[in-house]
Amino acid sequence: MLEARSLVKEFGQLRATDDVSVRLGDTENEMVFIVGPNGAGKSTLVNLLTGRLEPDEGAVILHEETAEGTVERDITDMRPDKRVKEGLVRSFQIVHVFEEMTVRENIRTAALSNHGLMRSVWSLRDEHEAVEADVAALLEQFRLKDVADEKAEALPHGDRKLLDVAMSFALDPEYLLLDEPTSGVGAAEKEYVIETIVEASQEQNVTTVTIEHDMDIVKTYADRMIALVEGSVYREGDPNLLETDKDLRRVLLGVSDDE
Amino acid sequence: MSTSDQDDGKRRIRLFKGLYLTPLQLVLAVAGILALFLVPEIEGVSTRLSLTTIHQGILWGMAAVGLNLLLRHTELVSFGHAAFFGAGAYGGAIVVNFLGVDAGLVVLFGGVTLALFFSLLIGWLVAEYRDIYFALLTLAFGQVLFAIALGWGTLGQDEGLFLRAGGSFTGDPPTLFALELGLRQYRILLYYLTIVLLVASLLVMWRLINSPFGNALDAIGQDRTRARFIGIPVKRYVWAAFVVSGVYGGIAGALYGMRRLQVTPEGTLEVFRSGEILFMAILGGFQTLLGPVIGGIVLRWLLENARFVTEHFELLTGLVLIFVVFFMPQGILGSLPKIAAGTRKRARNPGMVGGDLSTLGTMFADAARDAARTIKILLFGVK
Repeated sequence: MLEARSLVKEFGQLRATDDVSVRLGDTENEMVFIVGPNGAGKSTLVNLLTGRLEPDEGAVILHEETAEGTVERDITDMRPDKRVKEGLVRSFQIVHVFEEMTVRENIRTAALSNHGLMRSVWSLRDEHEAVEADVAALLEQFRLKDVADEKAEALPHGDRKLLDVAMSFALDPEYLLLDEPTSGVGAAEKEYVIETIVEASQEQNVTTVTIEHDMDIVKTYADRMIALVEGSVYREGDPNLLETDKDLRRVLLGVSDDE
Repeated sequence: MSTSDQDDGKRRIRLFKGLYLTPLQLVLAVAGILALFLVPEIEGVSTRLSLTTIHQGILWGMAAVGLNLLLRHTELVSFGHAAFFGAGAYGGAIVVNFLGVDAGLVVLFGGVTLALFFSLLIGWLVAEYRDIYFALLTLAFGQVLFAIALGWGTLGQDEGLFLRAGGSFTGDPPTLFALELGLRQYRILLYYLTIVLLVASLLVMWRLINSPFGNALDAIGQDRTRARFIGIPVKRYVWAAFVVSGVYGGIAGALYGMRRLQVTPEGTLEVFRSGEILFMAILGGFQTLLGPVIGGIVLRWLLENARFVTEHFELLTGLVLIFVVFFMPQGILGSLPKIAAGTRKRARNPGMVGGDLSTLGTMFADAARDAARTIKILLFGVK
């Protein structure tokens, strides 16, 4: 289980994250969605959890099952690349892929890292069979096979988003934090992107935490929803709250049910 | 050696695992190495073809091959690579002068060791910086080493040090493989040693850039944030690449010192030498493995021979730089495939020459855009 414990992050006068405590992956391969208006601190929370930002206060804790029971590990000061090795993987709101590499090479780069082969200086990048098998499987799963040899920079936006997520899955995550994987994706493709993510998450037994603005997607796929407002947890729990909680609807959608 | 058929149906000859050459490439490679071995033989043909110039060009080119690991893969522009070339040269000189050893391989080893030391140190300090900050920091550290060599009496200040027995102007050159050789024999044997080390260092670099580690360096160059978030320890990997790059400079510099038998701050450490190394990589084609060596030989040859043509030879090399940036932004080797393909087409269809003139305008616009990019790299160190 991944826990944010009383996290605080300030940017000058702005308290982007204000005493946030959440537990992620309490249940097996949980599907959590983070919702909230713009500027609610959703990305900041993901950045704090994955080590892109350091919190001013609070801690990030990994709960690990061992023979002697559950052990808490404080990873607040751990470098991002080490967190990846601990199974903490993320994607970005703005696509971050290796633009001059092909789709295949992008996924291979992540897979090589996952197999601990990155430091090999005397083998060839494309000769590791286990890596190539992973790459082929992900190309298939994310329907990127047809564009496998296209450069990432030449891909349409939806495929770029998928590539970004496919790279994350190549890292064999335990916790996957996705920052708006469907932003900028056309309505038709949106469902496909999220379906693929849900499928892959269940297959690989991943706790997935997704920032999402489309409430229909949240209602359909979420096991649990966390609503952030002005840096704090405003509501947490069943995604049905999006239907039933009038205050939440007002804050998120700007609509009042009385009207 | 075995043969195999690749996707494009062309026959490939396998040199070793992963390195496949077409028959033409193999012939060219063998011819190239043979030509290098024959240089001392054909030296007499023309005064313009001196062994000294080609030997020194190869050595600077070797340093540029090292620099190119950073330039091409991690996309970092080092403006201080002469630091490691100079450290290699001075390291060798220190072995001769202060340890009293004149065995050539020990001198070489001493040079590489000093370059390794400085690249470990400087690399650690600059590995987290990028773009113009990286360029300026490497420039600054290069200047520090230049200032130390120039100001420290023990290192002979602007006169430098001799790599001759006893550190004197008249001493014997170092021995090679325990052979005490006359100057002429020494130089030729040192040249062959250089060729062997050049081929070996190119093969090693080829393995390195095609390895998963090379993949990691490409990733770091293209998107550092993403590289970090797929689990690459970015700083350590940039540091490692920097050290490899510096050691290439060190090997080249040590051999250069042994060749000149004297090292000076101006000849090996000055900021213009760093600029030349960078220019060699771009001139030869920094998107290729061999380009920097070609660039090294061509620029060295130009610097040596332009002075016979005009006393303003620096202007001439400046003009060459401008020409390359405008019309051959891929460098000499990088442009060859295009030139070859174009010539073949025109031989078949002479009518195309007319069309060429009309496309010249658009070509110029494209060239200007690429040139702006390259100039930006040269001036500001940013892509």
